Order: sequence, then structure tokens, then C-alpha cells
Amino acid sequence: MLKTMKQGFMMRLFVMMLAGLVAGGLTSCKSQKKIAAEKAAVERAQKIEKAKQDILKVINDKGTLTLSQKEDIVSQVKGMNLNDPELNALIEKADEIIARERKEAERLKKEKEEQAKKVEEVKKEEEQKFNKIEDYLDGIAASKSLEMSATRINETLKFFATPDAPVLIIIHKEGDIKDYDKPTTIKKYLEYLKDQGKNPNYIYNIQYDANGKITELELIKK
Amino acid sequence: MKNLKNIVAVILIMLIAGVAYSQDNISPARKMAIDSLALEKVRDLSKYISIIGDKKTPWSEANRVIDRTLELFADGAQMGVSSLNQPEVKYYGIRAYLERLMALNYDQVKIEWFNIEYISDLEKQPDGRYVGVITIYQRFEGRTGDKLKYVDTTKKDITVYVERKQTQIGGRIIGFWDVLLGDVRVVETKP
Repeated sequence: MLKTMKQGFMMRLFVMMLAGLVAGGLTSCKSQKKIAAEKAAVERAQKIEKAKQDILKVINDKGTLTLSQKEDIVSQVKGMNLNDPELNALIEKADEIIARERKEAERLKKEKEEQAKKVEEVKKEEEQKFNKIEDYLDGIAASKSLEMSATRINETLKFFATPDAPVLIIIHKEGDIKDYDKPTTIKKYLEYLKDQGKNPNYIYNIQYDANGKITELELIKK
Repeated sequence: MKNLKNIVAVILIMLIAGVAYSQDNISPARKMAIDSLALEKVRDLSKYISIIGDKKTPWSEANRVIDRTLELFADGAQMGVSSLNQPEVKYYGIRAYLERLMALNYDQVKIEWFNIEYISDLEKQPDGRYVGVITIYQRFEGRTGDKLKYVDTTKKDITVYVERKQTQIGGRIIGFWDVLLGDVRVVETKP
């Protein structure tokens, strides 16, 4: 009888210990999940904070970041799908800034292209003017008679503000240093071309007055 | 202390000399351009003389070319004139020479210059000018009708002066090389 009672007690004790163990194990598992959840929440909060700082860098940038760098930052933050209302509002603001800057960059690019086109046109126009005067100078040098050269000289002089317009002839150029022959006037220079029967110089630069007449001719040795 | 003063003085002298040298120093390419400019002036003179001597050149035109020719020469420059018929060389002022050339008693005059080259390179003188000598050969032909009346070939030496000058054009200071021709001396005359 005593033995049976002892056995029953032992069994109950075993069951109780087992129940206690199971109950204890369950409680520990539950707290680990809680810790993991808390850890995840902290990590998310840190990610959101970091993302906000990144987006604020884009918003408050004073020209240290390029447009594509800004686009990359915003795109990276969007890719994290943090879905935080405050962060989303900041992203929206950054998107607006980027869109405005992109529009401005495109406008500047277009303006620059138009400016380059204009410069090219002016250069082309200038070259045409140079070629035209060059043709006249060649024509005087190649004149077969005094009458022909006199006519060509008079035609050429019409492009100049005065027959005394200075003509500078560069004989040598080294960097910014230009060596000139003794300056002459356009009338004397045209007569020189006629007398010598050759045009030994190219046009280097032409200066005009407000009426489009040449006030100074700069030549360079061929 | 005295030694230090001497060292500073030597360094200062070296610096001043260095600056003066770098201002005077002309690169070979620049010097070549100046040499070419002087040669070109002589070639220009050759063409002017042939125009003035050419009997087909109208009087007014020849006079205009004489004025241009005179601009090539330094004041007081002289031209040597020789003849196979006379042993001595005569020297004339440039205007007088050109006017005599214009008035030569031939129907046709042909003057050609060739073998134009330096016999003495342009060298810098103490006064800052460059001086050199260019030699030329002149072939002279005088015809009456179609008949060749006189022909000779004369070797002449031309002294050339080149000086750096400045002028103001359009409010800018322009530095230029002024080339002036000096005396033209007869070296020899051959048939």
C-alpha cells in the first residue's frame, strides 16, 4: 500500500515537472519572438532615420550633388519600401526638387546648344566675309591691266570706312606675342598688291564699325 | 656683414642682367621671320625698279611707285650705278637714281634681280638695331626698237637695317619691325 502510494506520488511529481518544463519552454520562446520583433522595429526605425537623412541631403543640397546622384539616392530609398508617412512626404518633396532641377538643366542645355549654334553661324558668316575680301585682294594681285586693277581697288575700298584704315601684317606669332611688319593703310596695301602682282598674306582678323565698314585689317604671312 | 652685402649686390646684378638678356633674346623662329621680312623688302624693291624702268609704265604711275620705293630706304641712302663703258661707279640719292632710271634713253628697259641672299646675317648692334647685308644680281637690258643696245649683269650689296619700333593704332600699342634699306653698293659689273 505504501509502495503504491509512493509510486503514485512519483508519477504526479514527474507529470508536474514535465508540465513545468513545457510551460517554461513556451514562455522562453514567446519572449525571444518579442525581442526579435523589438529588434526589427529598432532596425526599421534606424533605416527610416537614415533614409530621411539621405533624402534631406537631397532636399537641402546647395550644389554639391549632381542631378544623377540625387536621383540615385531617392531611387535607393524608394527601393527600400519603408512606407513611412513622414519619409514618403520627404521623398515627394525631393522628387519635386529633382523634377524642377531636371527641367532647368534641360533648359540650360538647350540654351547652350542654341548659343553654340549662334557662335558657329557668326563664325561662318565671318569666314564668308573673310573669303569675300580675300577674293578681292587676290583679284587685285592677279589684275592684267592698270585699268582692271584700278577698278578692283576702288571696289575693294568700298568695304572700308576710309582709305586710311590701318593694315597690320603679322610676320610671326609665338603664343600671344605677335611681330608685325611696319603698319600701312589699306590704299597703300592694295596698291602694293597691284605693284607686286602677288598676295603674300592671309586675312587674320577684321574690325568693323557700326555701319559694317572695315576699320582695321589684320593679315598674317602665308 | 660686408661679405653679405657683396653677395646681395652680385645677385642683384645677375638678376638685372638676366632680365635684360631675356628681353633682348629673340627665338630662332622669330629671327627667321625678321630675316625673311628684310629679304622680302629687297624683292619688293626689285619689282618697283622693274616697274619704274619699264617704258610701258605711265608717268604718273611711275611717280607713285617712286614714292613707294623711297619709303623702303633710310634717309640719305645712295644707289651705286655702273656701266661697262665707264670704269668708275657713280652714286646717286635714291630719288635721283629712280628718276634717271625712268628717263633712260631706250625704247624698252628690262631689269631683273636674281640670286637675292644674305652675305652677312642680321646682327644686333650696340644701338639695338640689326644690321645685315643682302647681295643681289641685276640684269639690265636696254633696247632701241627691237635691237638690244646695252646689257650687263651687276652684283650689288644692299645694307639692311632692322629696328624694333612702336606705334599706336586704335588705342593699342603695336610693336613692329621697321626694315630700312641703306646704300646699294656695286661689287662688280660683267657683260
